[in-house]
Amino acid sequence: MSNLKTTLTGYASYRGKEGHYSFILHRITGLGTALFLIIHILDTSFVYFFPDLYQHAISLYRSTLFGIAEVGLVFCVFFHGVNGLRVAFFDLIAPRLWSVPKQRFSTKITLLITLLMWVPASAIMLYNMLYHNFGWFGG
Amino acid sequence: MQIKLKVFRYLPHTGKKPHYDTYEMEVDPNERVLDVLEQVRADSDPSLGYRRSCAHGVCGSDAMRINGRNMLACKVLVKDLNSTQITVEPILGLKVLRDLIVDMEPFFDHFRSVMPYFVNDDPIPEDGKERLQSPAQRERFDDTTKCILCAACTTSCPSFWANGKYVGPAAIVNAHRFIFDSRDTAAAERLEVLNEDSGVWRCRTAFNCTEACPRDIEITKAIAEVKQVIYSGKIE
Repeated sequence: MSNLKTTLTGYASYRGKEGHYSFILHRITGLGTALFLIIHILDTSFVYFFPDLYQHAISLYRSTLFGIAEVGLVFCVFFHGVNGLRVAFFDLIAPRLWSVPKQRFSTKITLLITLLMWVPASAIMLYNMLYHNFGWFGG
Repeated sequence: MQIKLKVFRYLPHTGKKPHYDTYEMEVDPNERVLDVLEQVRADSDPSLGYRRSCAHGVCGSDAMRINGRNMLACKVLVKDLNSTQITVEPILGLKVLRDLIVDMEPFFDHFRSVMPYFVNDDPIPEDGKERLQSPAQRERFDDTTKCILCAACTTSCPSFWANGKYVGPAAIVNAHRFIFDSRDTAAAERLEVLNEDSGVWRCRTAFNCTEACPRDIEITKAIAEVKQVIYSGKIE
């Protein structure tokens, strides 16, 4: 079995616990954030190289589809950041706290903190999207 | 109880592709998965291949994926799986030689790479015949002495699935056992190996290793302690 096939088989079929799913979510959110950053660097470079295309890119960002994707992007950034801090704290500052109960608890807290930041941010973003794209709330 | 046992099969000499065989059988809920496999081999299919030796969780021969999770077949009871469907597959990340038997050589190569043996070329102390150690010094690495090299940890690790060059949790656990031994003098050599690209920094703290260890070794903690020694330069 190739490494890629083994990896994907393991990701999808291994029945790990909180840590396994936290690891996978960290990977997915990291990829999501990296993908956006690449696109963002490219579209920003259009300001200099292709100004007309830049305007087109901005109008795409204002579309409903991108608006929804941005809500997902904010989740990616928040989860990846908070989980990264959790892992760095345990791994680099307090390795002796790396026990099964503390790890399981900390993954749940990480998700809770992420949601506490993401839900209000999403509400504001969705409000703006409905206001500008659909004329809701007097827009 | 009636169960449906699904087993990964691969017999290279038959030319057949890897597939799953299913056996419907009556078993005692207090039987272990290893007993169930023995029953299949005795009653249904003598060609079924798997490793087993002591059958009591000491030799570490029968690590396999049982219902998607690495376990020792001799340590898990059928009733503890809470299911009448049992799927048994080989551990991931090592080449399958036959059925549930994988090639353990890459695993043992990584184990050997960290010098998993006591090193001290200093002369024996004049006032005694042994190198004394306090109970606290012995306690420091007690947890990592328990490894039985079953590979349940290494083959549950996403970093190992992605890159077989990663030394893996088991090798790091066995390095930890000697790095923190106050009598040993080869910590620097081991840390050099573990500080390489294929060393401890590939650990992403997914915790599958700790959850899978049949000896309850706190593996992620041991790996983090080795990381800390590498970046702090101090063995505490």
